[in-house]
Amino acid sequence: MLHSLRTSDHEIRSGAGAARVGIGGPVGSGKTALIEALIPVLQRRGIDFAVVTNDLVTREDAERLRRSGLIDPARVSAVEAGACPHTVIREDPTLNIAAGDELEARFPGLELILFESGGDNLASTFSLDLVDWWIFVIDVAGGDDIPRKRGPGMLRCDLLIVNKIDLAPHVGVDLDRMLAEARQVRGAKAVVPTNLKNGVGVEAVADAISAAVLFRV
Amino acid sequence: MLRIDHVLGSRMEPALSEELHRLEHQGAVDVVNVPAPDLARRRLLITTRDGEELAIALPRHEKLFDGAVLLLENDRAIVVRAATERWLRLEPRSISDAIELGYHVGNLHWRARFGGEVLLVALEGRPEDYTERLENLISSRRVGVTVLDEDTADATEAAEPALADGGHAGHHHHDH
Repeated sequence: MLHSLRTSDHEIRSGAGAARVGIGGPVGSGKTALIEALIPVLQRRGIDFAVVTNDLVTREDAERLRRSGLIDPARVSAVEAGACPHTVIREDPTLNIAAGDELEARFPGLELILFESGGDNLASTFSLDLVDWWIFVIDVAGGDDIPRKRGPGMLRCDLLIVNKIDLAPHVGVDLDRMLAEARQVRGAKAVVPTNLKNGVGVEAVADAISAAVLFRV
Repeated sequence: MLRIDHVLGSRMEPALSEELHRLEHQGAVDVVNVPAPDLARRRLLITTRDGEELAIALPRHEKLFDGAVLLLENDRAIVVRAATERWLRLEPRSISDAIELGYHVGNLHWRARFGGEVLLVALEGRPEDYTERLENLISSRRVGVTVLDEDTADATEAAEPALADGGHAGHHHHDH
């Protein structure tokens, strides 16, 4: 009896399925751009992954990724929220869970599924029934007061991305102060500045995902 | 790094408790303290009390819980200990204050429990990040605030009414 219950690092059993990572944040902050930037990095690292996008009433983000030429279109699934985007990532994530299960069934070797939320507000958070770990993306052009507003999305996410850092001088934002305030309100939780259009910070985001849920350090 | 890909069962189950009891006598039961908000995670990188790094990746139908046995071998075991959950105890002074408080707590999507005439909100961050959102209700003494640990929260009905703390909402209550 006891023998059948034993496990060790030499007896790794599969069954956990793919790691699931959420990406949330306000409209236009760079969630889809993050995925576009991550795709080649994850591919180069040999990570077997797929993407589930969420849109309000269209499949715009899924189509953008499918047409990008970056990823096999079959590896991109779309969920239409039909209402407030946070309802399908927090209150009732059934549609997203089903989309993830379906991708796992179609791609048995899948290691990672990225769930992109529809653009939402600063209160948006992911249910841990849906994802194992989640990222919140804000951007410099959205205003340097966002960290001070301490929205639940920014406070609770596992990784905070401050995107579009190249725009700081053009929108009158003191980037150093914005990052310092973000780190202050988040305590020990990570903050990564990025310029996703030019790939700045993308490797650090991939490192964080790999370490946290794929256990590749 | 030790990979854990399923929960063997509860330390209370007879099939496991007997073996754990034997190992406890040998000082061979290691414990992993899991913070309350992390219990809902299926994947977690965490270090045990004795310094073993665990890479936990559970099937989606499994969850961690207090007393979950993660490893059981002839000469050692690893068991989950759920860290005490902390709660914000919010005591409205009137029905109208209670209605307003309920509106805000719902609107903020906070995880809450009913405790008779008080509302308990699970603390997944610093207490001040919560009390700041209720600043008007608290500073005007329409809602009293204390911070409770899990076992105290279970006994809220028996607890004495909290003093209106006003600006001292972060006050800790440790009268277990």
